[in-house]
Amino acid sequence: MSRPEISYAQLLETNNLIQNCGEETYWLCLTRTVQGSKLFPVSAYILFSYLNAFYRYPSLLRKIEASMPAEAIADRARNMGMKIQNAAIGWALPNFYLLGRELLITFGMLRPQDALEDVIYVMDFWKRYVLSWHRNDGHLNNREYGQRAQILPDRRLEVFHRDLYSCEPGDALHEAAHSFLATASQYGFLISCESRISLTNSGPYRLDDRHEMIVRDFMDLAECSLPWLDGVAADVPYNYLTVPMSVRDCHFSIVDDWGSFESKPEFTSDKLAGVGLYTSDALSEGFVPVGMGSREELTATFRLLNDKMKEATRKLWLRIAGWTRDQMLDAGALTYYNIIKDLAHVAGVFAVEDWLTIDARAERFRPLFNDELSDQLLGSLVVGHDLPGHRQSPYTMMQHSDRPVRAYTPLPYSVLAGDDYVASCGEPQSGTSHLDPKIDRYRTTQGVLTLEEYNRRARDFTPELCGDQYRFLCETWVKYHYRTPLAQDLYRLEQRQSRTLQGKGAGPR
Amino acid sequence: MKKLPIDDDRYGTPPQSVLLEAVCNSVQDLVRRRFTESALPWSQFVFSASDRLITKADFESIEKQLLDSGYRFNWSAVISQRERPEIYCAADGASDDAASFSFDHPDALVGEPDATGRAACGQGENVVRRPANAVGIARYVRSSERVIEFMNQGVPPGSIAIIDDSGGTLTAPILEHFAGIVCAGGTIRSHLGILAREYGIPCLMNARLRGIRDGDRVELETSADAMTAEAYFTGAAKTASIWKLAP
Repeated sequence: MSRPEISYAQLLETNNLIQNCGEETYWLCLTRTVQGSKLFPVSAYILFSYLNAFYRYPSLLRKIEASMPAEAIADRARNMGMKIQNAAIGWALPNFYLLGRELLITFGMLRPQDALEDVIYVMDFWKRYVLSWHRNDGHLNNREYGQRAQILPDRRLEVFHRDLYSCEPGDALHEAAHSFLATASQYGFLISCESRISLTNSGPYRLDDRHEMIVRDFMDLAECSLPWLDGVAADVPYNYLTVPMSVRDCHFSIVDDWGSFESKPEFTSDKLAGVGLYTSDALSEGFVPVGMGSREELTATFRLLNDKMKEATRKLWLRIAGWTRDQMLDAGALTYYNIIKDLAHVAGVFAVEDWLTIDARAERFRPLFNDELSDQLLGSLVVGHDLPGHRQSPYTMMQHSDRPVRAYTPLPYSVLAGDDYVASCGEPQSGTSHLDPKIDRYRTTQGVLTLEEYNRRARDFTPELCGDQYRFLCETWVKYHYRTPLAQDLYRLEQRQSRTLQGKGAGPR
Repeated sequence: MKKLPIDDDRYGTPPQSVLLEAVCNSVQDLVRRRFTESALPWSQFVFSASDRLITKADFESIEKQLLDSGYRFNWSAVISQRERPEIYCAADGASDDAASFSFDHPDALVGEPDATGRAACGQGENVVRRPANAVGIARYVRSSERVIEFMNQGVPPGSIAIIDDSGGTLTAPILEHFAGIVCAGGTIRSHLGILAREYGIPCLMNARLRGIRDGDRVELETSADAMTAEAYFTGAAKTASIWKLAP
């Protein structure tokens, strides 16, 4: 088979994206977290996941795109709250892959030009996806936007805003929402084996001079493509929940590419001024209200979900406490590696073998990943930058650190002058897992489905807002065409389940 | 022996960690050996051949070399040390059952008791400024067994959790029942700090403690200014005190 011709422009662009990711990762890891866990061998499972990502992402992304292009999946992401936002796709997708590549370069197992076409493809997939997902704010990532994420369109923000129920400290809704948010956050950390990837935030969105809205997504809550939730999360009725939250006298100064936020002054529950609750997934017509019929119903719904998640937390914790280290390593590695798995759910091509096993080529490294070496190696990879591959000409001053280092190795341009390279790491190899096999139950907005049925329905489904008629009716078009019948239809479609805006269409602002 | 493509690195220097350097060298030696034995050009070796020729047994032998030298690894997850105590350093002080256990940080700011019997025994970083200090009984929570004990018997009202795990999972089923949290690690942005803020539990992170025993009555200066991102960047001291109170 003949090779596609690699152009200078392709390499230039790929290297720009690689550099962007490296600098962002350094800043995030340096300033946004100091994590440790006595329960999970976190550094070990993170490194393990990077290798699995390196060996499998290129093939699996090509498989996904054979069903649905990256840009089209991102259009869906802009209209719902699945795990195809931050940190999953906005940050983890390219960086897990690149960190796996860097690890193999460090070990002498890879040259910078090996898997060249894979690297170009993964970075190109990421670029097309995030540009589409960030279509409304016009940026590649939150970093480029000064740590801000204004993803959602006006029509959706208007519904979220107008349908919010106001609340004040001491009232029943405030108390129920506050408890739910804390419990869901706690549950999210446990689901994700001590990582924050079950939670994400977008925004801030300005409501008025005193209020900003942040949209919080809680993901993988029910029986889903994480096998450790089988049984323990059977009573959790929604796999994805979205909570738009209005906050008073508090500016969200950072919403980063991990989907976490920082505010001035520090956000505390007394600043919570309004809430809503929605669900969505690959089979829903965008966001579907949950318990939004009345203030009392929403209060009761938060309480019910709070109780169910507390019980699921208790059961899941006891399950995890009985795991072996290999099980913890696998669960953590799979949680990280399959952070992008919802791309396959949306495209209707999810397979257990693809997303819930460790590839044989990554598995062989398991004996290396003791706690101490993993802590040191991970630290060197993401922040220390003291591995031989990181070192650059002494004249170099890396962004943020000013040191003569670089987070990721660029692709060498010498391949255009005839240097040989290997195009791809090849197809996924058979995988293994120490965890219990996934039970064939997936909670969706269309009920609990088998995987085959979930995939079939996903392949056959296009939300109306993402269909050909509406897909390209962007914010610029709306600005100048809001009086047209088509714009009225677009807004009425979004308002179908709105308590306050149903049928109102796009009025002047 | 053939050279690896990375062997002629103009700028590369060894990593700072001796362990990391030793392991990287061992892996590179392994790859060099297998590459030479294969007699293949690199482009044929790098994936298809090396995927077969470099095996899990090879990496097990690298671990064995390190252990044969007498080296024992530090552990971070309790399960690692429990399952393979022969490869990890001893787990002294890892359980909560020793009534005499206490953190003993050399940088803890300690002092003699004042007239009321209140004595400084450390400091931490305040997650959220509260109207008043938190007072309660110190309870160490450092193992799954202790968590299960609290799950079964309940967390006594007014308990202050003393934790050395800045994560959000070890204490997941019981965290919300504490009246305060002191964590001997992490930062205000660690998962435990985030959860304390979400639950509204007074919390000091990155605490340096000395002399607090399980059952001691303690006071946390949660009315102090909260730690900020700016303070982390500038290195400005912004600490909240921890006192042991008279019983």
